[in-house]
Amino acid sequence: MAEAQYKILVVDDEVDLQPLMLQRMRRDIRAGRYSFVFAHNGIEALEKLNEDDTIDMVLSDINMPQMDGLTLLEQIPTVDPNIKSVIVSAYGDMKNIRTAMNRGAFDFVTKPLDFADLRITIERTLAHLTEWRAALASRDQLVSLQKELDVANKMQKSILPTQFPRKDDYEVFAHMEPARDVGGDFYDVINLEHDRIGLCIADVSDKGVPAALFMMSSRTLLKGASIGCDNPGDVLREVNDLLRETNATEMFVTLLYGIFDPASGDFAYANGGHNEPLLIRPDGSSSLLPRTGGIILGVLAGMEFAHNTINVGPGDTLFLYTDGVSEAMNVETEEFGMERLAAIFAETPPDDAEETTMAVFKAVHTFAGETPQSDDITCLTLHRSESGS
Amino acid sequence: MMDVTSERRGSTVIINTAGRVDGSNASEFQDALEANIGAEDSAVILNLAELDYISSAGLRIILLSAKNLRQRDIGFSICSLSSSVHELFIISGFDQIIAIHSSPETALAAQEG
Repeated sequence: MAEAQYKILVVDDEVDLQPLMLQRMRRDIRAGRYSFVFAHNGIEALEKLNEDDTIDMVLSDINMPQMDGLTLLEQIPTVDPNIKSVIVSAYGDMKNIRTAMNRGAFDFVTKPLDFADLRITIERTLAHLTEWRAALASRDQLVSLQKELDVANKMQKSILPTQFPRKDDYEVFAHMEPARDVGGDFYDVINLEHDRIGLCIADVSDKGVPAALFMMSSRTLLKGASIGCDNPGDVLREVNDLLRETNATEMFVTLLYGIFDPASGDFAYANGGHNEPLLIRPDGSSSLLPRTGGIILGVLAGMEFAHNTINVGPGDTLFLYTDGVSEAMNVETEEFGMERLAAIFAETPPDDAEETTMAVFKAVHTFAGETPQSDDITCLTLHRSESGS
Repeated sequence: MMDVTSERRGSTVIINTAGRVDGSNASEFQDALEANIGAEDSAVILNLAELDYISSAGLRIILLSAKNLRQRDIGFSICSLSSSVHELFIISGFDQIIAIHSSPETALAAQEG
């Protein structure tokens, strides 16, 4: 049998996991997509990694005898800095998940394992790994600017979630359309404890592979900082300080992060230099959320970020976007602007996150006509059902 | 799309930037700024009165210049922002990092004071 496309090292002290994994993933194994190697603690895992340099990804439990998963995470880069890791943790174990993300884990899954979810996470990690390798290769060689931008665009796409919460009481949808040669927008939807979700929209200041790598760091640091933290201002402070430590090129990211609580409809947010979201009422009227101040991330260490809380009432819609929307230009070099944006919602009051998001894209495209898109366009919409929770 | 000129007032150079600065010409903007700063200059005032638009890529160049000039012990300030550009400086928090003045004269006075 030919070598499988990707080799995954599974590290868990539960011996039952091995037959279960092989059984549940048998289709992917048979199709030559994955092959699995198993280890029962961190030390054994490191031995396997040292012996076999074709391992692409590590899926590791946290609590194990001899060497635990968090220690293993610290050691993996000494063997191969380009292996991507996913951590398996107990449900609600935010402290360990946070530590794992800060130590460079790409993602996490919780026990009991849902194999459909696990498969999605593995696929996302591998897709990201492929783009990551291409990015490193293009950084190390002289490649054409266009090729470099293609690589950066693919990396950007690989970190954007494509599946969104669609619940009885609220739903989320997001979409990004990259400009041909300037990239840098991203968004994320993060599951938090007590059924809350973290929403983020962001814009990195530059283009190309360095900017894509900076985007990766921002996304991973945010994910780590957001877990187990109820204050969005503290999350931004942590991300800002960590980005600052590693930022030599004065890149920066504008990033808005907020926590939505479906039970109350409260949205607590803090802002690192991004434009404020819009709150749209059921009648289609809209207003910008109050400003919280807050500077772009990655430039000055030790900054504080204030936060504010608003209530998203039943039937209300929260609209997060990047300046690619408001600053889209038409042939007469007019900007799309906030008034045209507000008019979309006034004409058709939002009642579906996906429809609202795509209506904005359609309006921007119609307005821009043949004018080439000069910046990424990104929208993230949260709609709370009329009936509330 | 973008036009950079400069004038000297004593040991201060005032750099006027007009038009649009975005991802497509940010590195050109960086080169133009650097080219207009002389070895003898003790302060730089960036006059953005004629600037129609600046993207985040352009803001990054301003930030790089500010840091670079600080290391060389050269003063740096910005003046005459249009309301839309000023708005962007406020949203991004740039107004907390870089001194902003209403005119070249007030910027010069602050430089000397």
